[in-house]
Amino acid sequence: MQLGFLVDLHLCMGCKGCEVACKVENEVPLSTWRLRVKYVDVGTFPETKRTFTPLRCNHCENAPCERICPVSALHYLENGIVNIDKERCIGCAGCVMACPYGAIYIDPQTQTADKCTFCAHRVASSMMPACVVACPVQANIFGDLDDPTSNISKYIQVSQGGVQVRKPEKGTNPHHYYVGGGNVTLNPLASHRTNGHSLFNKITTLPVGGHH
Amino acid sequence: MAHEILAATNAVVTLDAAIPGIVWPWLVTVNMWAKSIGTGVIFMLFMLLRMYPEQAGKLRLPTAIVAFVFINIFLLFTLADLHQPFRMWHIFVYSNWTSAIAIGSFMASTFLGLLTFLGYLAYKKDYVMFDKVLLWTTILAIPVTLYTAGLMAQCTARELWQMPTESAQMILAALLSGSAFMILMGGSKLNDEAKNTLSVVLGLSALMAFIIYMSEYIFGPMKAEEVAATIDYVKSGGQYSVMFWLGQWMAYLLPMLFIVLSRTSKSESILKLAAILALVGLAIVKHVWLMIPQLLPMS
Repeated sequence: MQLGFLVDLHLCMGCKGCEVACKVENEVPLSTWRLRVKYVDVGTFPETKRTFTPLRCNHCENAPCERICPVSALHYLENGIVNIDKERCIGCAGCVMACPYGAIYIDPQTQTADKCTFCAHRVASSMMPACVVACPVQANIFGDLDDPTSNISKYIQVSQGGVQVRKPEKGTNPHHYYVGGGNVTLNPLASHRTNGHSLFNKITTLPVGGHH
Repeated sequence: MAHEILAATNAVVTLDAAIPGIVWPWLVTVNMWAKSIGTGVIFMLFMLLRMYPEQAGKLRLPTAIVAFVFINIFLLFTLADLHQPFRMWHIFVYSNWTSAIAIGSFMASTFLGLLTFLGYLAYKKDYVMFDKVLLWTTILAIPVTLYTAGLMAQCTARELWQMPTESAQMILAALLSGSAFMILMGGSKLNDEAKNTLSVVLGLSALMAFIIYMSEYIFGPMKAEEVAATIDYVKSGGQYSVMFWLGQWMAYLLPMLFIVLSRTSKSESILKLAAILALVGLAIVKHVWLMIPQLLPMS
């Protein structure tokens, strides 16, 4: 079994339902995200459009985070998920530095690395990841890549040339695919990042465990 | 490639979670800098004992102490950089042998053990045994110096750090800082000839390291857009541009110039100034090279 993920960017409308569901399901602390939706505005007014790209761990077949982790806190499960053992993690942040997708962060509460696990605990109980359940347009497709009859395999077969991964040149062989993506959505260097030019600039973080 | 897309699409990220920012801070710079000195002085002692055994003999104990102190600084800052420092022992119990961090931890611990033994032997004046142990310590100092380059190379996200260049830079940093520290420490214990040899090592390692940095600065961006975007943080002005050039001048260019001056004027003061500049400049150079890949957005 090789579990994988596919996001159809034609369908995603940037509602952030997946983000919220992930936060709730995994109790992701404030100021951190296991899954987030990136907005990129393209064009010049009035000819503009907004693209939405959900970003999460790519569960690479050749995962740099697994290779660099000195204590095997990051490890493969039999179903292909790159899982994390937070009790074992020493917080060296090697994985954060190694991940080309910026998918790993240091949890401010536990002071250990954390990331999307494809909701491994739910998958173990034969449930879908929280983000898949929450998506109102079924833009998130999750399943067994080794099973040709699974939804994800069928989607890939139908989409063929339209299936892309992020940063294929890194040789990580991600198990997270996108349909309808392009350079603007998948290449972080193909869009500007201007200070003070993003939505919700005034995001504040609450003190961990404190009152406000 | 990406900059052409930028011009064509005018794409602007309007919402994204903050990137992690600086993950490995200045603590890691001190880590690398201290390790360079700790291994570098061992390389230099090994060389001096073979070339100038009588004079270098007096440096056995001071060198063992300096190396011991700086390797402890290196280990202390490594520990301080961990978010869970009390779990450090996990590395030795749950070792992942594909990780440069795990392998490096074992090697650095063994190296520290050998340095402690060297200090003991020098204190006991058992120089025959000291020289035998020094051989193995010097051999081990090579991978101890190099493993950080391996760690940086394992950071798939940071295209700037390539193993061939980083390993060369690590060895050159050890030679540079080791010779600089030995010039300062040698004082009256070393004659002019020995100091000249150290100045040649310092000057050549500065020259080689400078050539590699300039090669990456000029030619790196021609091969990969991520390298181009990273190098742009030192090309486009700002604090890292200032620090980069300040570091290049302090660590490499001025020491080379001062070494030539010291040899023509036979001035030990100028040579010591070159050594101090090299040591300070090296920390700045290493800091810039550590920081700039971390500024790049990953998503």
